Amino acid sequence: MSLSKCSFNFVRKRILASPLSVYTNSSRKSGSSSLQANTKKPDWNRAVSEAEKIVGYPTSFLSLRWLLSDEIANVALQLRKLVGSNHPLLKTAKGLLYNGKNNMQAWGLIVLLVSKAAGHSPDIPEMEEDKSAGVLHSQRALAEVTEMIRTSHLVHKGLVNLQPPIKVDAPGDMISGNKIALLSGDYLLSNSCVELANLKNQELVELMSSAVRDLAEAEFVEPRDVQNAPLPAKPKAEARGYNQFVDSNMEPLVVSEALGNARAEWTLRHVLNAGSLLGKSCQGTLKLAGHSYELQQKGYLFGKHLALAWQACLDREPFTPGTVGSFSLISAPVLFTLQHNPEVYTLIEKGLDEIEKVDFEAVRKAVLDGPGLEMTKNLQKDHSKAALDVLNELRDCDARTALRNIIVAVQD
Amino acid sequence: MASIGSSRICARVHEKLCQWGHSQIVKKSTVRAKIGFYPSIRNFTDDTTKAQALKNAVAAAAAQTTTTSGCWHPCVRPEVPGTARTFATMRTQQPGSLPEYQVDPYALLEDDLRDVYGYIRNALRRNTFQDNLYEIATYYFDGHGKAIRPMVTILMARAINCHMYKENSGLIASQREVAMISEMIHTASLVHDDVIDQSDFRRGKPSVNVKWNHKKVTMAGDFILAVASMMIARLRNNEVTSVLSQVVSDLVQGEFMQLGSKETENERFAHYLQKTYRKTASLIANSVKSVAILAEGDEKITEISYQYGRNLGLAFQLVDDLLDFVSSAEAMGKPTAADLKLGLATAPVLFACEKYPELNPMIMRRFQEPGDVEKAFELVHKSRGLQQTQFLARQHCQEAVRLANLIDESPYQKGLIVAADYVLNRMK
Repeated sequence: MSLSKCSFNFVRKRILASPLSVYTNSSRKSGSSSLQANTKKPDWNRAVSEAEKIVGYPTSFLSLRWLLSDEIANVALQLRKLVGSNHPLLKTAKGLLYNGKNNMQAWGLIVLLVSKAAGHSPDIPEMEEDKSAGVLHSQRALAEVTEMIRTSHLVHKGLVNLQPPIKVDAPGDMISGNKIALLSGDYLLSNSCVELANLKNQELVELMSSAVRDLAEAEFVEPRDVQNAPLPAKPKAEARGYNQFVDSNMEPLVVSEALGNARAEWTLRHVLNAGSLLGKSCQGTLKLAGHSYELQQKGYLFGKHLALAWQACLDREPFTPGTVGSFSLISAPVLFTLQHNPEVYTLIEKGLDEIEKVDFEAVRKAVLDGPGLEMTKNLQKDHSKAALDVLNELRDCDARTALRNIIVAVQD
Repeated sequence: MASIGSSRICARVHEKLCQWGHSQIVKKSTVRAKIGFYPSIRNFTDDTTKAQALKNAVAAAAAQTTTTSGCWHPCVRPEVPGTARTFATMRTQQPGSLPEYQVDPYALLEDDLRDVYGYIRNALRRNTFQDNLYEIATYYFDGHGKAIRPMVTILMARAINCHMYKENSGLIASQREVAMISEMIHTASLVHDDVIDQSDFRRGKPSVNVKWNHKKVTMAGDFILAVASMMIARLRNNEVTSVLSQVVSDLVQGEFMQLGSKETENERFAHYLQKTYRKTASLIANSVKSVAILAEGDEKITEISYQYGRNLGLAFQLVDDLLDFVSSAEAMGKPTAADLKLGLATAPVLFACEKYPELNPMIMRRFQEPGDVEKAFELVHKSRGLQQTQFLARQHCQEAVRLANLIDESPYQKGLIVAADYVLNRMK
């Protein structure tokens, strides 16, 4: 039994579902893989766990097979030495198991649901199909690759910058923590290389490699503090239209023009950070299924918009009443607030060296006083709608309903 | 993996060979210390008693420490490929059969190699609009590397093309790409190694982790790998993609192996050899295998090229481990005895262990107690560890030469033989 499942069960108990409208599919197929007919609005955890049933079992690569490999045993050994230290790798590791609505397993799940909802070309031999789940074996492998790439990126992001002359209190812990974080991330990345190569589809390899490139690029969008935490760019006076996302998604994105333009900057940062990987994975799975290029492109848009809707939703969380503490300075509410009132940027500037020096409560107040949250809500609506529009072009089936439920669950 | 079994056998065979061989090496090296201690394998005739061997060993160590700090061998590579033409000699060959011709692979491939770094920088440039990323990613593609991987890859490509297609054979564009990809994969791993090892210098300049934020450096490594993967995918060859992604996996697993160590000596040596294969030889072996596949070579020729690369790669790393003990920091462009300082027991130490068992506990505690590094360094020099490492490296080079001789004669095929010689006798 996988760890992910445990964490889901654990979390589900804590959630009280709100009794509201329902999005379930009336034309269900078999008993085992059908959605529970219920009268409640799908909350996040139910949407996800029901969706998992549709595609068989959870996709998480954190499976027994993976945990039992020699390399991981080695990592675990090293990791244990870190317990008690304050290396952020431990936080990353915890986040891998459960991290609110952004949990890892959901990414592979989306890819599988898209696979099932779109079906596959009749030319593909029956042997390639996982009959019980209605997806191809190759698509399941791709879903695993998606999770590995994303996890690898998060693990690499969790390194501590020890570039001299930075002094750390416990350099021994930090150095070995970095070593393990770097190697574990590399291990996941190299595993995804091998898994992808096994699929024997070079266009797919190219596509997914470009997603890895985009993730790496995301970490260079300036400005950054000494620990490479991102800060918003100085807001520009006029926000111009911005449409660089129409061309081929194999090309790198132009960065400089978007900075300082709230919506463009937010989109750029998070397409690189998340949208590109989910979009390209959805595109890739349709490629494996033998669908047309047009449909593949729609798959890309679906994944991209879903990831952005997701991000907008996460961005709003720290601004719900009663929340304290730090939050992402490149979240949509902050960026919109800066655009609306450029004077707030003086608060941000204090943290250009270390974001801890930013007065987060002051920024939060500025956000709550301005139109930032409302604009973020609209932003999320736009992306949810764009994702649903793509979904509506697919045939009606349980997987499509599950995807719809997830989008709806993200919305509140 | 199949190589686990075979490398263990290899280890045992080599140990035998070494035990058999080193007394001669020692004897010779005392006599020929000034010329450099490279006796031929053929002179295994006059055996000495154990006492004599021991005496010789000490003398050899003494002779060596006096000569090695300066210059060992006249074969010094130019900084920039193709600018100087120092000719390698054929010491890997048996005496009496010293060849008439002299080929310098760097000169031979001057046109091919000149642009490798430029092409790589272009490929990276096309994949980002962010100058800060581009700067870190291209830091080591400055043209000052030895470019040994592209050199061997292109040599093999051209040699096999000549072998298969005779006169009308040029370098296929995809083969040139593989040469670039091999250097990119290598550099991506260097960049990550620098963060892991916290090294200060590489190739005579501050290493990336000193100059930039470690998170950015890590991401730059991922970026180089991603661009290399895209280039691999564009070759549109399933087998080549499989072969090269195996390399990436080997590199990481080799790095993991370096974290752990084994209890017993036998296991330890097998572990070391397998780690060496994964960290160094796999990349060279699979790159040359890839160019053979791209030439549409049959199974026999791809296996020859793979085995050539594997042997050459193992020798390359063995010599590297040796140079860590004897070369000066200026010549290497990075600090020496670095491996010991990192807690790594490489071949010279493992060999020295046979004679000085007191090294065992130091190996197990990864040379972490004060004085360990100095003591181990001294014992390695007192033992025959360096000669034995040299001997093992030569074994692999000779095997590489034997394999290269199975390919039809051409200047590039000769170049493969000289490359083996260069790997064995290099100074940095």
